[in-house]
Amino acid sequence: MMDKKRIHEEGLLEKYLLDELSENDRMFVERAMAEDIELKKQFGQLEADFEKMAFENAIEPDSRVKTSLQHRLDAPRQIRNYRTPLMVAAGLALLFMLTTFLLYNRWQEAQERLNLLQTQTNSLQERLVVLEENYQTTNERLQLINAPSTVPFLLKGQVLDQDARAVAYVNHQNKLVVVNPKGLPQLPEDQTYQMWGDVDGEMISMGLLPTDKDLVMLKYIDKAESLNITIEPAGGNDHPTVEKLVSYVTM
Amino acid sequence: MSKLPTDNDLITRLSNGDKQALYAIYDRYAPALHGVILRMCRNQVLAEDLLQESFVKIWQNADRYDEKKGRFYTWAYRIAKNTTLNTLRKPLPLIQNDDLSVHNSKEEAETTVDHTELNGALKKLEAHHQRAIELVYFRGYTHREAHEEMGVPLGTFKSYVRQALKLLRESYGSDLMITWSILQILA
Repeated sequence: MMDKKRIHEEGLLEKYLLDELSENDRMFVERAMAEDIELKKQFGQLEADFEKMAFENAIEPDSRVKTSLQHRLDAPRQIRNYRTPLMVAAGLALLFMLTTFLLYNRWQEAQERLNLLQTQTNSLQERLVVLEENYQTTNERLQLINAPSTVPFLLKGQVLDQDARAVAYVNHQNKLVVVNPKGLPQLPEDQTYQMWGDVDGEMISMGLLPTDKDLVMLKYIDKAESLNITIEPAGGNDHPTVEKLVSYVTM
Repeated sequence: MSKLPTDNDLITRLSNGDKQALYAIYDRYAPALHGVILRMCRNQVLAEDLLQESFVKIWQNADRYDEKKGRFYTWAYRIAKNTTLNTLRKPLPLIQNDDLSVHNSKEEAETTVDHTELNGALKKLEAHHQRAIELVYFRGYTHREAHEEMGVPLGTFKSYVRQALKLLRESYGSDLMITWSILQILA
């Protein structure tokens, strides 16, 4: 009874119809109408009056509204038609991905090749430097050998091996000595040839003579009277082993 | 001659996803709803868009209509009203003219007001009763907004609405009596 009174006093039925009520008030009115047939009937009458009033004030819409509505509700069929472009788009995306992957792999390969080439170039440059140095040294030695002030001395095997040969080029002007030891016989690994300069009876080491080289630069000894080659233990000796004198030449 | 389907038949079919039922319901109710929407937004083009939008919502929410809670038209009216109010509450887009000045679409809308004059039993009511019903029903005002618009206290405004509804009831009741009497005489 109290509910009905409140509904009438506050005009809740009208507000309910107009959708103006809060959630709580809406539920309150619905509950009250469900319990009170009279109230429900009143609401039905109110609805009918409002509806009639709306129909009296109806305005016919243009026919295009209904046509447009029909097109819009049929839109799902059109969505299906989008499948083809979607498939094409998906295909293109896949193609793009594959192309990208392929290009990436190619790029990686190219990068690896570039790195390899860079390494090879560096190696070649290093070799070129070494070759230039070797050329420089050989050229210097050749110039030394061909210089007019250079005197060649042939050292023949006289004591141990008669076939042993070595040529020493001595330039007193530049104080340089270069020896070609290729004609000396091979020695065991624990032995080496060593050259000495004789100055007033004292033998002074000029350096070792490895037989695997074409020209060996040795130390120039001032006022040396003769050049001597001996066989010494590997690494050389402080004093010559006279018993193993291979060759000598007087300057 | 085939019998026209009743509202209940159409609504049942609508709930089952029958589009033809929706179009039949459209034919019945669209003019009444259009009358409400057009008076609320006062723009012919916008009103047509909103009418279409309202029927799309009716279609999408048909299974939520509960006939125990009221008539179908009341349910559809609420959808149309809320759809319209939600659109009108959004900020109006500014439109640039050739002379670089701007105006908003509301200004244009105000100039397109035309056949929104009230008709029927409502027209016979006194101006303040007519205005009260117009504001709450055809313009989408709440009671609170409407009493401020009319410049009267809320209690007075509620009385206006109640009196207007009573007069409408009497008018429709007497119309019914006249119709019944004519039918009796003709019989």
